[in-house]
Amino acid sequence: MRKQKRITNKARLRKALAIPALVLGIAASPVVGQVEGGKLVLAQSANPPSLDAMTSSSETARNINMNIYEPLVAIDENVNPIPMLAKSIEPSDDLLTYVFPLRQGVLFHNGKEMTAEDVKASLERYREVGATRGMLDKVEEIEITGDYEVTFHMSEATPTFIEGFSSPRAPAVIIPAEEAAKPANEIEIIGTGPFKFVEFVPDDHVTLEKFADYVPNEDFDGPTGFGGKKTAYLDSAVFRIIPEAGARIAALEAGEVQWADQIPVPAAKRMSSDDSLNVYEARQWAFLTFIMNWNLPPTDDVNFRRAVLYAIEPEEVMAIATEGFYDLNHGWQYPGRTYNAGDIGKEIYEGAHIDKAKEFLAKSDYDGEEFLILTDPNYAEHSRAAVVLAEQLKPIGINAVVKQLDWATVLKIRLTDEGWNGWTLMQGLEPFLGPYGIAAKMRGDQTHMRGTADVFEESYNRLITGKTVEDRQKAFAEIQTAIYDLVPQIKIGDVGRMQAGSARLKGFKPFRAPRLNDIWLED
Amino acid sequence: MTVEATVPDISASRAWVAHLKQGLGTAARHRSIQVGGALFGFIVLLAIFADLIAPFDPNKNNFRALLSAPDAVNIFGTDAFGRDILSRVIHGTRLSLLVGLLVVVATGVLGVIVGTLTGYVRWLDGPVMRVMDGLMAFPGILLAIALAAVLGPSVTNAALALTITFTPRTARIVRGSVLVLREMPYVEAAKACGASHARIVLKHILPNALPPLIVQLTFVFSVSILAEAVLSFMGVGPPPPTPSLGNIIAEGRSYIQEAPWVALMPGIAIAMTVLGLNIIGDGLRDTLDPRLRNL
Repeated sequence: MRKQKRITNKARLRKALAIPALVLGIAASPVVGQVEGGKLVLAQSANPPSLDAMTSSSETARNINMNIYEPLVAIDENVNPIPMLAKSIEPSDDLLTYVFPLRQGVLFHNGKEMTAEDVKASLERYREVGATRGMLDKVEEIEITGDYEVTFHMSEATPTFIEGFSSPRAPAVIIPAEEAAKPANEIEIIGTGPFKFVEFVPDDHVTLEKFADYVPNEDFDGPTGFGGKKTAYLDSAVFRIIPEAGARIAALEAGEVQWADQIPVPAAKRMSSDDSLNVYEARQWAFLTFIMNWNLPPTDDVNFRRAVLYAIEPEEVMAIATEGFYDLNHGWQYPGRTYNAGDIGKEIYEGAHIDKAKEFLAKSDYDGEEFLILTDPNYAEHSRAAVVLAEQLKPIGINAVVKQLDWATVLKIRLTDEGWNGWTLMQGLEPFLGPYGIAAKMRGDQTHMRGTADVFEESYNRLITGKTVEDRQKAFAEIQTAIYDLVPQIKIGDVGRMQAGSARLKGFKPFRAPRLNDIWLED
Repeated sequence: MTVEATVPDISASRAWVAHLKQGLGTAARHRSIQVGGALFGFIVLLAIFADLIAPFDPNKNNFRALLSAPDAVNIFGTDAFGRDILSRVIHGTRLSLLVGLLVVVATGVLGVIVGTLTGYVRWLDGPVMRVMDGLMAFPGILLAIALAAVLGPSVTNAALALTITFTPRTARIVRGSVLVLREMPYVEAAKACGASHARIVLKHILPNALPPLIVQLTFVFSVSILAEAVLSFMGVGPPPPTPSLGNIIAEGRSYIQEAPWVALMPGIAIAMTVLGLNIIGDGLRDTLDPRLRNL
């Protein structure tokens, strides 16, 4: 019989509270003086592409979905996996089995109690439609081993499985079994979270309201990350879609919204002296990246992609795209993180190498055709980076053309082989969660670059199955080497994020998505 | 004996050329046209010689001078890319005038063709003008935004969208004039003498229908410049980094409190251009409209 060790909620929370927050400098802390009721209005820049949480890895969807749905395993404030709808996580010693006893009495928004049947149906659906379904690749079978227990049987020991499974990027949320039988984006929006869906008016707003029958996780003393013991104080919340930053700021300053995302840096500096507002600053928010389409000329040619890589001057792009709130970093992990691969690629990254770029361009089959840079105005960093990149590529003879469309359209186009060569994208959660998300988007059938190479597949496999940290570090270093050689994506730099809220908004702590639980509005 | 020889020379080409010369001479002496012409002429010269006059490349980024206030080097300041706003405004004005000119020429030609045909050929009037009425029923700028959004962002598409928007209005004015003119005694006389339809339209009706059209086209020109700015502001104008007055303002709106010069300078350029055109239009109306000529 396999020995199993039990990872409990209390133990996880103690660990979470003991370790200082590494990323945002914030840890869960007890709060007092909460006010019940009220409507919170939040402003974000774009529509959620989908409220079917499994199918979208978009930030604008996650902002909303993480308040409606919950997964079996979530992350805490320090990005450690913690049980959420699971009572505990019980891996066998050989890591070939994971038992997940479930919390009992958890209700869906339709009033039905969550059981093992819902969990199995949801995760089987995730295998079909999940935007990051690769994280379940090593799960051979999901077995119902009790009314309130499921067991995962793994095809191979995968030490990093729970870390990947807890990812909120496109979260493996639990929905009622009858909804899980439906295709992608055709479900009723029903979860177990502290807020339930009311309406979505595209280009205008999404309304949520407090789920009065929410069953908090009493194994925790308070909220942490996307898990813990959550309490809803607000009656309702409205996410307003306001694409233009100036309009978001005006709405915040006029009191029409009480929280706004993506505040331009000059405005944030001005607002920080306003006592009626709070400005929240997160330095390591995302990687600004430039992704290239491997299935469309001229970017199907590795020499052309290398020419682009060598022609780019990252500092200029970062300074303009982020309004000065950036760090130059060639690495595909943040400095100081366990999987940071050191100086690999640093020499290429530091400044433009025009002669080398021209050399690669001459080796390629490029014949002056348009190099389409896909971007959107909803994330100012994306569009500004695209404009600067285009200007940097023209002097070496690349006919770069900026193709600016709205965010939702961009997300559809980039899933096709046509209509784009390059795509400016901030990747936030991938590096936040460690190396797996970054590596996962370069292997399998859902790569950013519409293709892959054996080296990405093999190194990823070693990354997730490596027995020791050193094995896994080596695998990630191979991936970073391949990125600078085959150029699926180009790392431009690390981007910060400014958010702001009314001083009436209390208890708010910035995280990867605004958490509506445990915050309230003072009168 | 030929018909041509017997047609009385009531309003023949020489007469209306002389009339036009007289009108232009009067116009040139009109104070409004002089003031508007000077203002608009200055802007046109800036646009034509933009490559020589603009102090910097309008698309040249400078990340060490982001949102710099106006100073001796960058007289209008710089934008969020560190680009010189004066240079971008000059090049943006060129693009705005180009769009305005394209729209004026296209709406002028199409308006004259549609207006003349519907005014002169009675059976065409009903069906064609109902189509024009249908187009006019849509708010002009909304129609232009929709068309530009469907056709994609480019200078040509912006001009095409505005042409479709303004042609019905121009056609309606020409049609109105033609409806009146075709009943005039000299047209009746020409018909009685056996003049062809083409001759009647080209020699007797059209020259007299032009004055209100010219005034209307100055209005179309100025409204097209404003509409192009709106389209660019909405993101359906020329794609970045091409400068247009509208997209410079759009880029500046996020910094309206911290760097007001980004939106202010192109705003002033639009105001000056449209003001110049409107003053010219007023002067032309005063000069060409017989009812106002002696006021």
